[in-house]
Amino acid sequence: MRARQFYFVAVAAFSLFAASGLYADFRAGDYSKPESELMRQLLPVSASTDSMYDAGQYPIYYPELAPGDGKDDVENHCELCHSPRYITMQPVMPAQAWADEVTKMRKTFGAPIPDDAAQRIIAYLGSHYTPETRKR
Amino acid sequence: MRNPQGAVSRRGLLKTFAAASAALAAGPILGTRAEAQQQSAAQQSAPEFTGPGGNPYWTSVGPYATYPQKAPLILLTDRPVQLETPRHFFMSTFTSNEAFFVRWHLPNIPNAVDLKTWRLRVEGNVQKPLALSFPDLTTRFRSAAIAAVNQCSGNSRSRLQPRVAGGQWGNGAMGNAVWTGVKLREILDAAGVKTGSVQVQFEGLERGLGPKGLGSNLFQKSLDLSNPVIDECIVAYSMNNEPLPMLNGFPARLVVPGYFATYWMKSLSAIRVLTAPDDNFWMKAAYRIPDTPRGATTPEDMKSGKVSTIPIARMPVRSFLISPDGSTKIPASFPVRLRGIAFSGYAGIKRVEVSTDGGAKWTEAPLGVDAGDYSFRTWSLDWAPKAAGRYQVAVRATDENGNIQPDEGVWNPGGYLWNKIERQEIAVGDAG
Repeated sequence: MRARQFYFVAVAAFSLFAASGLYADFRAGDYSKPESELMRQLLPVSASTDSMYDAGQYPIYYPELAPGDGKDDVENHCELCHSPRYITMQPVMPAQAWADEVTKMRKTFGAPIPDDAAQRIIAYLGSHYTPETRKR
Repeated sequence: MRNPQGAVSRRGLLKTFAAASAALAAGPILGTRAEAQQQSAAQQSAPEFTGPGGNPYWTSVGPYATYPQKAPLILLTDRPVQLETPRHFFMSTFTSNEAFFVRWHLPNIPNAVDLKTWRLRVEGNVQKPLALSFPDLTTRFRSAAIAAVNQCSGNSRSRLQPRVAGGQWGNGAMGNAVWTGVKLREILDAAGVKTGSVQVQFEGLERGLGPKGLGSNLFQKSLDLSNPVIDECIVAYSMNNEPLPMLNGFPARLVVPGYFATYWMKSLSAIRVLTAPDDNFWMKAAYRIPDTPRGATTPEDMKSGKVSTIPIARMPVRSFLISPDGSTKIPASFPVRLRGIAFSGYAGIKRVEVSTDGGAKWTEAPLGVDAGDYSFRTWSLDWAPKAAGRYQVAVRATDENGNIQPDEGVWNPGGYLWNKIERQEIAVGDAG
């Protein structure tokens, strides 16, 4: 009877170890990492044999901009020359640094942004992309 | 209460589980080590941005992205395209074309080029303007090849304190390739540079949408004709013995050995001999460094307006530990091979030294194959850490001119010329 009881204890204990992935000297079976986004493969292209060397289209990976007043102005004006990833890629910066960037885009690079829209863009960037305010 | 033969009573079952639970809670049992019972270290995705401190990671924090002719690379921006090379691609002397970093300035970059109509124009103050076809380049001239590092001026910009706006590169905006093409000097000689010429200007196929005459419309770079580097320049139509990927400047790009990549004009379409210094935005205002030791200055000095600037030129000496990268725990006494690369834009690599105590003691590391003064030079050093602990592995290179990597960062408004000694923490575990 005693031997039988020990047998049951041993089997149950082993089952618990197996379920928890804990073995004598290692841990296994932990697949609990939250799902990551997968990236689809690009298939090889069948190139033509004429004189045109074509790499195909380039993708746009549109980022999620912070919601708020001025987001429309960013989309309407900044995206003439560059995608909003130029904003989201930057480190968090003080509001004044963002104002300087917008001024550089207008004065140095000639971005055709009217004064009122520029003011809204400066206010938008300065309220969502600073060390204190940036969420993602 | 008597149990029927072979059956397990409820109480018996409870007792069994209680015993097992107690055994689990008791910790070491059946030789199980306490450490093995701890939860896995939760592996997290990179953050979406860094700052206001320096980016602490080897590369920038962007997601991986797929592009034509490219392995998945780290996305900085998508229009215009900027892609960074992940760390593990730097294990070898040469960087494969599919992994080579990408950096364009203006949105309208070529997706396709028709070689029937593409011409490289050689014009300006020359006796005989030329319009060279692709076969002209590959057959009319002698071919020349050089191994040379192409590094973005802003490589490692995300290290600067305070942070500066611009492409927030980690260390992966660099690559080394064998570039084959035609010596720029032979092309200039074929056109005949006339007296009174001072600079030669380079222009590629990329175009912007800004007003004509501004930097947002056209990207152009120039070099002084008196600069000895002119004789080392190659108009390369081959990269690692393959056609250039479209995103790296098909069908031909300028190679300026030792110089930062800003001069290495991609999808080259015009070579223009100038009689006056180029004053376009990309020479006069952008890609300039303070005329100070190491190009270093401060935000305060910049604001005061006293800092004079010069066009960026040669790359300061740098070195990197590529493997191990800190993601693998090394058992104590395990003989691990530390591996990496070094390069300098001034001369060949003379010496690479490695420290495993954060920079107190240095050991010279044997160097790999010498592919030329402007190439990556691999290095490796075997190391068997005696005891468990966290080790700071540091690496510093010295070039043949005696330039040695400093242990201080650099700050300038463009975020250029970073070459501080790199450090990597390596966790060494108890080997039992």
